[in-house]
Amino acid sequence: MPENLIITNKEIVFLKELSRHKVEFMIVGAAAAALQGAPVVTQDVDLWFKDLSDPGIPKALRKSGGIFVPAFGRNPPTFAGDAVKLFDIFLTMHGLRCFSEEKKNSYEVKLGTLKVRVLNLDRIIKSKETVRRPKDLLILPVLRDALKTIRQGKRIRNSGRTSRGQ
Amino acid sequence: MQLSGESIRKLCRARGLSLNSLLKRSGVSKTAFYHLLHKETVLPRSIGALATALGVRPSALLEERDRERRRALRLLEAADRIAGSDPSTDLDNVRHTLLLLEEEPIERLRRSLIRARKPDHHE
Repeated sequence: MPENLIITNKEIVFLKELSRHKVEFMIVGAAAAALQGAPVVTQDVDLWFKDLSDPGIPKALRKSGGIFVPAFGRNPPTFAGDAVKLFDIFLTMHGLRCFSEEKKNSYEVKLGTLKVRVLNLDRIIKSKETVRRPKDLLILPVLRDALKTIRQGKRIRNSGRTSRGQ
Repeated sequence: MQLSGESIRKLCRARGLSLNSLLKRSGVSKTAFYHLLHKETVLPRSIGALATALGVRPSALLEERDRERRRALRLLEAADRIAGSDPSTDLDNVRHTLLLLEEEPIERLRRSLIRARKPDHHE
């Protein structure tokens, strides 16, 4: 297992730098689902940027030793370099509204001392239901079960608290 | 009372320490540590050294087997209840989600990335 591919301080530094430069982004896709507790696997961390021309992005990249590689042929724009190769760039999410609208359907998750915005699991499901690639269809039942579990688990915990409080 | 490997690993991670560096710092050998993990009772001196190196009270490193068992049963009961409420729900998905919800978000993400890199798993 190549250790440098698993999220470490280097990747966290990049995310911190993005936040420091007030770049608007959120984690989406399977990584966002995993952060919320879904038992899924993923090769990368998808970052949805509000505006890829945000001057904070090159600053964060410089600080982390990464570079921006523009779209080439059928390949989308991407990041290169040890600290950033784990991240994939997204500018739109199929089946969802624009970034600013979907921001209302996201929340902040703590990654150590850093807080990052993550798209809600129900919106990730909605996007995958729209895209319907074979890998999306495979992961969908797991995501739906996870969402059910998170919602019902909260209800169970809350009812436990209520009955203890009574 | 038994030494809790899980608690020690969690405390190490929270302090950015590897298990090896903790053992070095506390003067406990690897052999002694793994021996301690499997013992029913542990000597206060060994617990003291590990606790001092981690800056916690010795009780934070101990686990009560009953407490662990109760926690596991509670989780299984909740998984049964959730999966039982809808026949289309997969019990394994529910159980794994509940287990992951006990972890910190960063740990959940790391696990998903690690699992993706094992040859028998796919995205």
